[in-house]
Amino acid sequence: MTFSLIGRCTRTGRLGLGITTFSLAVGGRCEGVVANIGVCKTQAFPNRTNDPLGIKLLAQGHLPKRVMEMFAANDTEHSYRQIGIMDRDGRIAAHTGPGCRGWAGHKEGTDCVAFGNGLVGPQVLDGMIAGFLENPGDALEYRLMRAIEGGRDAGGQGTPDAHRPERSAAIKVVDRRDYPDVDVRVDVHPTAVAELRRVLEEFKLYEEFYRGRDTDPAKAIPQDVFVKELDARRRARA
Amino acid sequence: MTYTILGRCARTGRLGIGIATFSITVGRYAHSAKAMVGVTVSQAFANENNNQIALRLLDQGFGARATLEHLKSNDAYYTYRQIGVIDRTGAAAAYTGPGVRGWCGEVVGENYIATGNGLVGRHVVEAIAKGFLAERDADLEHRLLMGLEYGRDAGGQGTVDRHKAERSAALLVYSRDPYPDIDLRVDLHETAVEELRAVWAEYKKYEAYYRHRGEHPRGALGQEAFMATLKAAE
Repeated sequence: MTFSLIGRCTRTGRLGLGITTFSLAVGGRCEGVVANIGVCKTQAFPNRTNDPLGIKLLAQGHLPKRVMEMFAANDTEHSYRQIGIMDRDGRIAAHTGPGCRGWAGHKEGTDCVAFGNGLVGPQVLDGMIAGFLENPGDALEYRLMRAIEGGRDAGGQGTPDAHRPERSAAIKVVDRRDYPDVDVRVDVHPTAVAELRRVLEEFKLYEEFYRGRDTDPAKAIPQDVFVKELDARRRARA
Repeated sequence: MTYTILGRCARTGRLGIGIATFSITVGRYAHSAKAMVGVTVSQAFANENNNQIALRLLDQGFGARATLEHLKSNDAYYTYRQIGVIDRTGAAAAYTGPGVRGWCGEVVGENYIATGNGLVGRHVVEAIAKGFLAERDADLEHRLLMGLEYGRDAGGQGTVDRHKAERSAALLVYSRDPYPDIDLRVDLHETAVEELRAVWAEYKKYEAYYRHRGEHPRGALGQEAFMATLKAAE
């Protein structure tokens, strides 16, 4: 019971993952999103060693398709895994083992791959891809957010007569630095996708301020002052 | 405006950090850890690049002290940073630059660093250390949470007449695996330390189930069936 989309921004080369699930704290199981290397995400019955291994293999120059073959050879339970891999050039490999439960599958779209299990049906993947492709000029984090929302709005997890809530969600985007540009999470929440949208929107308001505080601390205003200015702008808009 | 406990469990060698702050999404940028290598934080005017460099230096075999000195030498603005490093032996090194605002400083001991800035006073970091040391045989994640809670209860961030809310918090623990044992976050909340404890308490119920499901998928209970067993046990 999870749906995810790995995407790449062709304009900037940024890579990212958007994910939501019934399980708690899914963002704490997303090590495989690494700048200038690629994205690797194992879900369903996840083999936690896959993603760190996959990143090392991609960094060595192996293609996603080859990495997937090596995963298959390295894991007696490969048939229970669902895996998406994208390298820095946007090449994709995806695997949905027959042991994954509920409706499960993956689908490639332009610059993206959607994959999920325990879903109401293939329309969830279509909803994700449509969300991702809706505004290709947007920053990748917004496109990933739209993808998750598109999957949710297409029915998300569960069966047609029993929806299963999204209890955790995360978006991770890497650019050139060796830590993520964007890394927002909701770990325990009854409507985690809506809450993730709220966290992302708030983070985007602070993003430049936080970056400036790092790169030019001598000129940084105190956060109190920044928050007051932010509130004033909010009031002016309202 | 941040307070943090970095710790190592002397019994198991596990490494971790608990952090709470006024800034949102602190789990994104302030700290990092690696199994059997070390744990680091860069806060106040955080240099987001510091942690990955620090972990690479520790991985090459430099100790906490040399790693900290390198971070200072590598940063034009190091006087604005507050840094903590614990290496795999439990050696701890910390630094608070003169450009850091509000009351700021640290308590450093073997296997731990309690550090913070924009705090109501020195007693906050002393309380954090006390919380961390209160139950030495408990799991590291619980000890780190205790550190944060003692710090919060001692007044936390702000000035004596004006408390500043904890809006985000994070808890990260590595054991031997190339991925964390515990990686929990509260990104945007009015009382993030309380919420982090609640998230941890909820996650704790599922932890062994999630691990088992990944390692032994054949015949694994569905999550809802597992939740029914939780309910039955209540």
